[in-house]
Amino acid sequence: MTLAGINLLQILNGLTFAALLFIVASGFTLIFGLLRIVNLAHGALYLFGGYIGYTVSSVTSSFTAGIFASIIAVALLGLLIDQGLVRFVRGFVLREVLLTLGVAYVLDDIALVIWGGDTFSVDVPTLLQGAVHIGGVFYPKYRLFVLGLGIVVFLALWLLLNRTRLGALIRAGVDDPEMAEAVGVNIRRVFLGTSMLGASLAGLGGTIGGAFLTLYPTADWEILVFSLAIVIIGGSGSLVGAAVGALLVGMLDTVGQVLFPQFAYFVIFGPMAAILAFRPMGLFGRAT
Amino acid sequence: MLEVRNLHSFYGDAHVLHGVSLEVNSGEVVALLGRNGMGKTTLIRSIMRLAQPQVREGSLLWNGEELMHLTPHEVASRRIGLVPQGRRLFPSLSVVEHLTMLKPASAKHGWTVSRVLDMFPRLAERKNHRGNQLSGGERQMLAVGRALMIDPELILMDEPSEGLAPVMVQHLETIIADLGRTGLAILLVEQNLYSALAVANRFYVLETGKVVHAATAAEIKENQASLLRFLGVH
Repeated sequence: MTLAGINLLQILNGLTFAALLFIVASGFTLIFGLLRIVNLAHGALYLFGGYIGYTVSSVTSSFTAGIFASIIAVALLGLLIDQGLVRFVRGFVLREVLLTLGVAYVLDDIALVIWGGDTFSVDVPTLLQGAVHIGGVFYPKYRLFVLGLGIVVFLALWLLLNRTRLGALIRAGVDDPEMAEAVGVNIRRVFLGTSMLGASLAGLGGTIGGAFLTLYPTADWEILVFSLAIVIIGGSGSLVGAAVGALLVGMLDTVGQVLFPQFAYFVIFGPMAAILAFRPMGLFGRAT
Repeated sequence: MLEVRNLHSFYGDAHVLHGVSLEVNSGEVVALLGRNGMGKTTLIRSIMRLAQPQVREGSLLWNGEELMHLTPHEVASRRIGLVPQGRRLFPSLSVVEHLTMLKPASAKHGWTVSRVLDMFPRLAERKNHRGNQLSGGERQMLAVGRALMIDPELILMDEPSEGLAPVMVQHLETIIADLGRTGLAILLVEQNLYSALAVANRFYVLETGKVVHAATAAEIKENQASLLRFLGVH
């Protein structure tokens, strides 16, 4: 069932990698779309979440505890960054970008001090260890779990955004923050909630990804570059765009590494440039 | 009641409002007239405390409370509704979401979704359409409905008749007059003089950032010529 090196295994690898990328990039796109901030610290939040998830799950021997700890800790970290720093430069795009870039370096160094330069892997629970037989290949259960989780996160976010009042407030804020505030929405609170939600998704991604991509210094920049590509391809602020972008990037990366390992990044950024040439706002982006 | 006193507003270095003072009492429909670029929208934006323009002097008293240090949503929470120029609906929200975003659909008091939809049956037929899928008249109705959902005591309406077909303008006049009769105060910015004459109790004329003329409906009935002169119509 090989097609020039591509087989079911590669496709599953691509899909599960895409699911992880989606979890991280959905947080990125939420923040990008509503707060108009290109949060370059998003990768660092991912890595921090991973380390926290690793530590807590090691200490408590509970993967679930690790997941919740990383979600809560990184949400609070996101709140701190937003209220303690980004708030003061809101509206100045270049300053925001530079500030979040600085925050990313600082977080990296703090992580280096706390966890050192070793590579860690989050332990997965027994239930998710081992492999299952599917379509003629044995495939790790854990990676299938990640795929399922990606789908669950997509559905949950979709319902939140499209079927709840909070979601309507977030969409109104994406459309026209000034008018949302003028007709009576406490837009700052919506911004705050969204930036915490976006950060918590990075934290969740860190623990989930830390179990199969492993955690090490600079892992955050790799994830950040992928997230940027996904949001640019999908269109900022679009959940469906992030899902399609993640699928595209996840598949291209996996297939690209098999077929043209020497062009691994080109395989992602070549198509990205091509998409931008025809749709400058991304596949699902809207001019604002 | 709303008392605007000696308001000076700026866009950057441009001094747009030069000491505007006016009042809107409860239950009154007050029309703010004036040609393009005279500062009408600037005044509305100043009252709403939007980030631009910058108000450098003056005071905005609402039922005795100073609005100057509030944020826009705090102004709205004091029951001042806004129907902005150009409607500014949210393209990704449905008709119903425009209404429920400000108040849960289960709310029973004051203005509710069903009360707004009763008032605007056309919107009821399109309640799942998105803001950008409506006709000009429907958009305006939704903008009014959205403002009503905060149970306002005062609504600021910025050129609601702009770009509407004559039959829609008439419909809108009926709505404004009806709302006025319910005790709601309305500050209506209008370029369409006859539309304003049809609904307002009092008039202010704004010219280059100053109130140059004030009159009641009765005074205008007796001497329309003076108002027309201030508007530069004659």
